[in-house]
Amino acid sequence: MSDDLRAAHENIFLPREARILHTARPTASEKHFTLQMADGEPLDYVPGQILEVGVMGYGEIPIGLASSPTRKGSFDIVVRTVGRVSTAINSKEVGDSLWVRGPLGHGFDLDSLKGQDVLIVAGGIGLCPTRSLIQYILDRRDEFGRFLLFYGARDPLQLLFTEDRVEWRASKEIDYHETVDRADVTWTGNVGVITTLFHKTTHLDPNTRVVICGPPVMFEFVIKELDQLGIARENIFVDLERRMKCGVGKCGHCQINDKYCCIDGPVFTFAAIQELEEAI
Amino acid sequence: MGYLYLEEKDFAAFVDALIAAKRVVGPTAKRNKFVYEQLASADELRLDFDVTILPPKKVFFPPAQDIVRFGEQAIEGCIAPVDTVLLGVHFYDVKGIDMTDYLFRERKEDWNYLAQREATTVVASNIQAISPRAFWDSVGAEVKPKGHDAFLTKLAGGCVLETLTPKGEALAAFGAFRDATADEINAAQQTNDSVMGQCSEKLGYTSEAIAAKVRDSFDNEELWDELAMDCFSCGSCNTVCPTCYCFDVKDAWNLNQVSGSRTRYWDACLTREFAAVTMAGGDKENFRERHQSRFRHRFMRKTAYLNEKLGGPACTGCGRCSQACTVNIADPVRVITAIMEVGS
Ligand code: SF4
Ligand code: SF4
Ligand code: FES
Repeated sequence: MSDDLRAAHENIFLPREARILHTARPTASEKHFTLQMADGEPLDYVPGQILEVGVMGYGEIPIGLASSPTRKGSFDIVVRTVGRVSTAINSKEVGDSLWVRGPLGHGFDLDSLKGQDVLIVAGGIGLCPTRSLIQYILDRRDEFGRFLLFYGARDPLQLLFTEDRVEWRASKEIDYHETVDRADVTWTGNVGVITTLFHKTTHLDPNTRVVICGPPVMFEFVIKELDQLGIARENIFVDLERRMKCGVGKCGHCQINDKYCCIDGPVFTFAAIQELEEAI
Repeated sequence: MGYLYLEEKDFAAFVDALIAAKRVVGPTAKRNKFVYEQLASADELRLDFDVTILPPKKVFFPPAQDIVRFGEQAIEGCIAPVDTVLLGVHFYDVKGIDMTDYLFRERKEDWNYLAQREATTVVASNIQAISPRAFWDSVGAEVKPKGHDAFLTKLAGGCVLETLTPKGEALAAFGAFRDATADEINAAQQTNDSVMGQCSEKLGYTSEAIAAKVRDSFDNEELWDELAMDCFSCGSCNTVCPTCYCFDVKDAWNLNQVSGSRTRYWDACLTREFAAVTMAGGDKENFRERHQSRFRHRFMRKTAYLNEKLGGPACTGCGRCSQACTVNIADPVRVITAIMEVGS
């Protein structure tokens, strides 16, 4: 094969350099990065899509984009230190680079959310990928109906995006409720599992579109509440996690029955995944 | 495209001429088994093989392949195809290659595979010996072998080379070929027809019936428990399969600790940790924790999940998994037959 031909074929595994513009440590284990592509190219993505983020010599991990494409010039990710790769990523500082591939996967179906009431239910680090959608809706507020956000964390120290939450609490554009499973002395807010938040707000229209992102144990209880409210499962969207190694539908690691989390997802309708025995 | 003939006495010279010009990979003997290896001379080629230990996919999808190399500043891809002739591929493996071609091409083209695939001339050959566990004559008849460039059939006194693509036609220049006669073409056809029906293992059901019943059996826990009993999750049934293509990706540093590579390695969905992730909460979650679910997943993939895309099952009947499984439970004929017999 000639060099020209070789160059014409994109290597789907070749990552691009992203510079770290800003970092923050919202919790002891999470690091929030604001990034920009080193080549100056904007990242063209949809909320809910993922990036494979890595450090050369350590590897890559799938991370949901945590900012909205409506906020141009940079993009955010939040990485929790759990293993070798995430530790390597989280040791990087402003001025360093990360190597990213993407955007990858199937994000939120914005067309089916537009013009509708939207409820986002986020548990733990599940707030990160949904923050992309939250920002998107806030930036294009008049394209959506009523907008609610329920956020739950294990304890107050695990709560992410403090500044965002201050803003959301104060905002009339969003009906925001938060809870922790276990309070500490500083906590004056709601205590209890995330489903307790359903009773903190006025009745939800059965046509509401619902987005769920969080640990698998949370799904079951949230779905139960939504069933009671008469919300159709086609209108419930879930953001799933799998071991997405390649992110491009080849390596097989993310398969859920005959679906690939990395290209058919990570966002699925609940109607689609309830058919899949291996989904949750 | 047409039919050529080469006298037996000229065959070695043809292969040696190819070897002088290109990398030639073909079946060779290794103790009492056969393996695909780069040939150094024509006498290493063993077209009388029954089956090779590993399928020819390793030519395009090596067990370990660098996909990115990095230095201190820069990173680069390492797609470097080598002009290759893959000589001596049985029709069931031709099907397997065609399937991995499709799978590496669909949705997002993976040129780490496709570049070497395009740089390779695939020469199929007739089956001269039948592996004891093969059942290629009773599985996926609707999937036709295609994608190869030429088909070589050995006859008494010589061989017929059917050329199917320009790459296949180009082979003619390396040997003393002449046009084949109608009789020779007929004889080649008969030779290939005559092996069908000769496998000792047999699958007695249509692909659609199998796909439907296997899917329906998904929740039959008892059945899968029994079928997968003794599985020790070694993954050999994946490794030897021509249509398995899962991989893992790992980074490694060179000795200088400055440069290194990102490499993909064959992986196997039967192994314990294949679908395990560390979840956002920090807990490990294994989406196919039990060996029964992993065993079932493999059968779903081989008989049902990919049928729509591939036009039939992703099993070619090579029988390699049956041979590779030390506890002798991986055999698709055994498993599928047991599933088909449930409730009948
Ligand atoms: S080869 Fe046999 S024992 Fe090994 S993983 Fe496959 S079925 Fe299990
Ligand atoms: S499942 Fe077994 S018989 Fe079928 S193609 Fe794979 S290795 Fe060959
Ligand atoms: S992450 Fe490799 S197939 Fe989805």
